[in-house]
Amino acid sequence: MPGPDKETDLTERIEAFLFDLNRGGSGAGPLRGSAETARETTALLRRITAQARWSSAGDLMEIIRNEGRRMTAAQPSETTVGNMIRRVLKIIREEYARSRGSSEEADQQESLHKLLTSGGVSDENFRQPFAALKPNVIEAINELLTELEGTTDNIAMQALEHIHSNEVIMTIGRSRTVEAFLKDAARKRKFHVIVAECAPFCQGHEMATSLSKAGIETTVITDAAIFAVMSRVNKVIIGTQTVLANGGLRAVNGTHTLALAAKHHSTPLIVCAPMFKLSPQVRRLSFLSDFYRYCEILSKVNVHCPVFDYVPPELITLFISNIGGHAPSYIYRLMSELYHPEDHEL
Amino acid sequence: MAGKGGKQSRSSSGLSGRKGAGDQEEEEQPLQAVLVADSFNRRFFPVTKDQPRALLPLGNVAMIDYTLEFLTSTGVQETFVFCCWMASKIKEHLLKSKWCRPTSPNTVHIITSEMYRSLGDVLRDVDAKSLVRSDFVLVYGDVVSNVDISQALQEHRHRRKMDKNISVMTMICKESSPGHKSRCEEDDVIVAMDSRSQRILHYHKTQGLKRLQFPVNIFHSGSNEFEIRHDLLDCHISICSPQVAELFTDNFDYQTRNDFVRGILVNEEILGNQIHMHVTKDGYGVRVSNLLMYDSVSSDLVRRWVYPLTPEANFVDQKGRSCTYSRHNVYRGSGVSLGHGSQMEENVLIGCDTSIGANCYISNSVIGNNCTIGDNVNLDHAYIWNNVHIASNVVISQSVVCDKVEVKTGVTLNKQCVLAYNVVIGPDISLPEGTVVSMHHPDEEEDEDDDEFLSDDAEVGHSKDKTKLKAFNPAEVGAEGKGYIWKASSLDDTEDEELVRKNCESEDSEPDDPDDPVIPSPETDDVKVFQMEVLGTLQRGLEENIGFDNLVLEINSLKYAYNITMKEVIQILTSVVLEYPFQQQGPQLTPAQYVALLLPLLKKWAPVFKNYVKRVQDHLDCLSAFEEHFLEQDSHWPAMVKVLMNMYQLEILEEETILRWFSQGATTDKSRQLRKNQGVRTGHTAL
Repeated sequence: MPGPDKETDLTERIEAFLFDLNRGGSGAGPLRGSAETARETTALLRRITAQARWSSAGDLMEIIRNEGRRMTAAQPSETTVGNMIRRVLKIIREEYARSRGSSEEADQQESLHKLLTSGGVSDENFRQPFAALKPNVIEAINELLTELEGTTDNIAMQALEHIHSNEVIMTIGRSRTVEAFLKDAARKRKFHVIVAECAPFCQGHEMATSLSKAGIETTVITDAAIFAVMSRVNKVIIGTQTVLANGGLRAVNGTHTLALAAKHHSTPLIVCAPMFKLSPQVRRLSFLSDFYRYCEILSKVNVHCPVFDYVPPELITLFISNIGGHAPSYIYRLMSELYHPEDHEL
Repeated sequence: MAGKGGKQSRSSSGLSGRKGAGDQEEEEQPLQAVLVADSFNRRFFPVTKDQPRALLPLGNVAMIDYTLEFLTSTGVQETFVFCCWMASKIKEHLLKSKWCRPTSPNTVHIITSEMYRSLGDVLRDVDAKSLVRSDFVLVYGDVVSNVDISQALQEHRHRRKMDKNISVMTMICKESSPGHKSRCEEDDVIVAMDSRSQRILHYHKTQGLKRLQFPVNIFHSGSNEFEIRHDLLDCHISICSPQVAELFTDNFDYQTRNDFVRGILVNEEILGNQIHMHVTKDGYGVRVSNLLMYDSVSSDLVRRWVYPLTPEANFVDQKGRSCTYSRHNVYRGSGVSLGHGSQMEENVLIGCDTSIGANCYISNSVIGNNCTIGDNVNLDHAYIWNNVHIASNVVISQSVVCDKVEVKTGVTLNKQCVLAYNVVIGPDISLPEGTVVSMHHPDEEEDEDDDEFLSDDAEVGHSKDKTKLKAFNPAEVGAEGKGYIWKASSLDDTEDEELVRKNCESEDSEPDDPDDPVIPSPETDDVKVFQMEVLGTLQRGLEENIGFDNLVLEINSLKYAYNITMKEVIQILTSVVLEYPFQQQGPQLTPAQYVALLLPLLKKWAPVFKNYVKRVQDHLDCLSAFEEHFLEQDSHWPAMVKVLMNMYQLEILEEETILRWFSQGATTDKSRQLRKNQGVRTGHTAL
């Protein structure tokens, strides 16, 4: 019987993924970088779509939602997982709507008028079975996967529009996207990069080594020197862990300082963020998530070691995503294009 | 054997589809672990009377889950859980947990037996059932750790490859300054190790020690760089070779790991086994070995030192047990309700569906699931488990409140109180510091206390009816209270644990004897035993009229058995013979009687002496023992010269050597006096 076999194989894969996610936080897991997490999640969701037993779109959504809840709980600080689940849910909704023949546009219009007239949250029950739904959904997820593959390159391609010759660029910590962005620009232009080291983990050191290997003139500064150096900087280019619904950031610790310094000196702050980092969450209090792996354990002292900063949207000049540049005020629009409002809470 | 049987293992199907769990997979053998889910002591008594220690909640998660999570995250693929006390509860817990799901990367086998009395028994069983195939990780079921042991594992394997299985064990230790909260005083050790090879040369528990001794010979071997460290915290995680189990079988007296380590170190030259140590700087690894440790590990856990095993991570993957994490280390489960004006100061963990009344003040506390807490409650360092009802106006500080306890209004629990399962306290009573209240009557226990091997495990007493007759004392537990006071005393700064320990002394197998600390250098001990044996031999020889050559044979074999030098044989023989009359007749002999008794004996044993006392040096040794004997018995100096004369006549001693001994500089006043003694002088001149 192939059926049960498939099922166990699937659950096994899900468990393994959960395990990896769980370990991901300690830095020991095999998942490195959010791009990879996003790809892994989407691939797993495609597998669920293909192998799980479901007869209608509603069933499938329920399955994905259930697994999604577990996945997000396994690593609460990694928002990409939840984002990809929402994207897939949105895909299913769209495909279902298309199979039914109703226009895609009508479904996602969210006007005041509709809110008043429709009454309930949604009258859709997704119970109607369609034979073509499964291949369609898988096809759409494949498209999403291709999109994910190319995100870093798409962002890097825009580098030349933003970095000009002999500019001084500041960045903080290590972001793969920013790294690719700067390296791409360095193929044509000459510029200087200042990297804030981002204590206590000092990912900035790795970043600087990598950049200087690519032939970019690089200087490492301590986090305390950010404000002092800011006056010489032409542009600040940073990565982020998550883009929040209000256009703010949840980024590595020290970014808020950097953003404030940039604001003070009216230096433009550019955020390189692929679309999969866009999360429908708004600011929550719990922005602390910490690794105490590197210090001595003290008994009579409370040590708080926040890993992420919240950066309010007004400090940000521009987002560069794989589909182009956006102002922070435009994030809400991207949000409604990517996710269905009902999926914001999984 | 009925008791030993019952290998109730449950193997899960197919690990085939699993991918990448670290470097361990490169080895053909999957990494195995032995988890001992029993403490074999009663530190947590009487709490452990109702629930095994491995299942006690720590940050609302059973301790064994932390250990299993640790093992799984280090890449262990097969774990043997050995249970004894309340094995069925542990088994039930594990079968329900995520570890026994078919998809678990770590296959858990549960092995239960009533026969286990110590770690030694468990490992002997591991050997008997030949469960382990290669190196395995040995931990207790109450270890909380996030230490990355992969490096230690690699080093261990490398050593074993290089040195042909000489290294049998690698202990994991964490650097931590003395007096640190996460250090357990009982486990304080001082370790001497070779800094290059990290081989342990000397291992010593230091609790209650004023003086330390290091055998010098440990510094003569191997390299010339040594470290003597006291800043190590034993994580109770060891990487063992399969030989460890065999060694436990061979040495049936090994009970604990401490016995084992000391045994290996003492016999290192004979068996050629070595123990190494891996010192880690980061990571967290502590065994929750008593209530004090429970307090410090809980607070470390809430303060996130054990990341990624934090309370909100929900690593046990239980439904509906997730909680949110917010500033100042405040964790709230789902369905928590907090009354108006209540404050959660810092380091607070509140389980699911717990409701808290108005104007409460909570700090540094862990509260379990489904608890109800009234108004104006003040909790500080309180560990409140599940389904507890706390009424209004209660103050609890630094105490443990177990499942289903009811605390009525106006109760104050001072520091280090323990309310075991189902106790009811109050209303309006204040429990003094260090009170332990349990539904079990302490007398139930005392009946069993005689059994020295009693661990957490022993069967609950049969004296139930007796207990029922005894009424609860309202002066102790309040008007509506239910429970018996186990111990109420004012403690200065000592801990809960201290008092629980005093209460039930049977810290089973591990002999915390006074001789334990200063390792008695094996020689002195052997010499004493040898002396006794020689005495016995001579006595028997006398009684059964055994020929002198047989006596010599016997003494010779004793000499080898106890590894005694020739010099010592002579001295001991002399002193035994000289003491013999005292041994037989008691110390109140007059010199005349003494001589009368001794002389025939000397005559009888002269051939034995002659067999040993041959060279000049032997004579001198014999004489020095002779001198020592009479220095102690100064009232018998008159007899001395006669004995000496007799020995000379029997040709045990020669003239020159006696003269030489006499003329040799006496070292103390007393021995000078002895030589000046009239008798000896005359004897001397007579010669």
